[in-house]
Amino acid sequence: MILDLLPLVLLGGVLALDATSVGQFMFSRPLVSGALAGWVVGEPALGLRVGVILEMYLLVAFPTGGSRFPEGSVAAVVAVSCAATLSTEAGALPIAIAVGLAWGHVAGWSVTGLRRLNSRFVPEPGDERVSARQVTMGHLWAVFMDFVRGSVVTFLGLVAGSAVVNGLGPAWPVRLSDSLGLVLVGAAVSAGVLLRSLGGFRRRKVLFAIGLAVGVLGPRFL
Amino acid sequence: MSGTVTRGSVIRIFLRSFVIQGSWNYHTMIGSGFAFAILPALVDIFGSEEEDLEGPLRRHLEHFNAHPYLSSLALGAAVRLEADAEDEEAIKRFKLAVRGPLGSLGDALVWASWLPAVVLVALVLYWLGSPVWLVVSVFLVLYNAGHIGLRIWGFRTGLREGRRVGRHLGKASLGRWTERLRNSATLLLGLLAGLIVSSPGGMGEAGAAWIALGGVGFVAGAVIGHPVWRPASVLIVVAVALLATWGVVQ
Repeated sequence: MILDLLPLVLLGGVLALDATSVGQFMFSRPLVSGALAGWVVGEPALGLRVGVILEMYLLVAFPTGGSRFPEGSVAAVVAVSCAATLSTEAGALPIAIAVGLAWGHVAGWSVTGLRRLNSRFVPEPGDERVSARQVTMGHLWAVFMDFVRGSVVTFLGLVAGSAVVNGLGPAWPVRLSDSLGLVLVGAAVSAGVLLRSLGGFRRRKVLFAIGLAVGVLGPRFL
Repeated sequence: MSGTVTRGSVIRIFLRSFVIQGSWNYHTMIGSGFAFAILPALVDIFGSEEEDLEGPLRRHLEHFNAHPYLSSLALGAAVRLEADAEDEEAIKRFKLAVRGPLGSLGDALVWASWLPAVVLVALVLYWLGSPVWLVVSVFLVLYNAGHIGLRIWGFRTGLREGRRVGRHLGKASLGRWTERLRNSATLLLGLLAGLIVSSPGGMGEAGAAWIALGGVGFVAGAVIGHPVWRPASVLIVVAVALLATWGVVQ
């Protein structure tokens, strides 16, 4: 089983690095991570679909400094794997999104834990001796440990997610359209929070209303 | 800049700035990453002997935090100050003075404006039915054009201006850019909401009751803001868990 999961585990580790430690090129956003995980499991369209919905939930989770935020890349990799496992389409989406969201929070805690450990890896200004080698090795070791953390937390998420999906998925009692409605309601709350963080409805109501009108009416004329 | 820092070292420092947050910790935040990134310049200026490097390394290991993309500006300026043989206290004071503004400007410009705007472009493309590769590549190319452009601008400005970077930050009108981006993001958010309601595979398919519930959720998010975001996610996870359990029990 470990060998089967290896590509997704390594992907989880690499994407976890992008979230904070290396580059922040945003490969770690659920939108991209979901699509990449989808390619790995042979279902890129499903991967993007799961990634898009998780992205809408995590639109307002910015990787700012010391804040704790759900780790979107791990959430997306685990969620896509769960969705690809299920044969019932109606249950695949909500269960995968729920597992991804829950595991994203667990991964967020692991980031906090590693940040506490990092101060043991690198020298501090008050230390008795400080050398270039200590600084370089300490820093690179912390980066490597972040990769290990991302891989381990992805592996555990894949195992736990697979157990949940196999146990609960086949008996999912709700129609596909209602399942979709349920997950999109949660995404709508995040969209509202984003509007507030962009300046609020009162301040930007005209722009929002123009966009909304084009979005609702546009497809009818296309 | 005085000729003590080689071109190769300048390139290495810029590349190292991409991993400046690699050892982020609660004591010195990105202080150790800053020392790691500036190390090639310190070796050029002070030599590679341990006792010569110890003092300069200690001052850059101290607590520092800034937005990771804009930290390249502080890094470039610190290289310039070291190359100009500024005294230790002046360098420490400079880093202390810039860390707050670089953090808040970067958070407002990048995390709260540029990133949501580009994510919304990608989400709109998805709901318009674009293929996977197009959605992903438009997001990555567009986002990183701004990201890498900002890092290059910051590093070059820091290297050129040294302690005068504050004046250039003011001239760059980052606040005005933030406002424009937020306007664009709001327009895109409205467009996305409309597309989700009207597109196949969206709320329209789920039915009027779900559209109404989504509207309530959206208004709650817009009125209450961040405090409602986590409970809403938890509520959805709990609802899915209860439904799934109900299905098994049945």
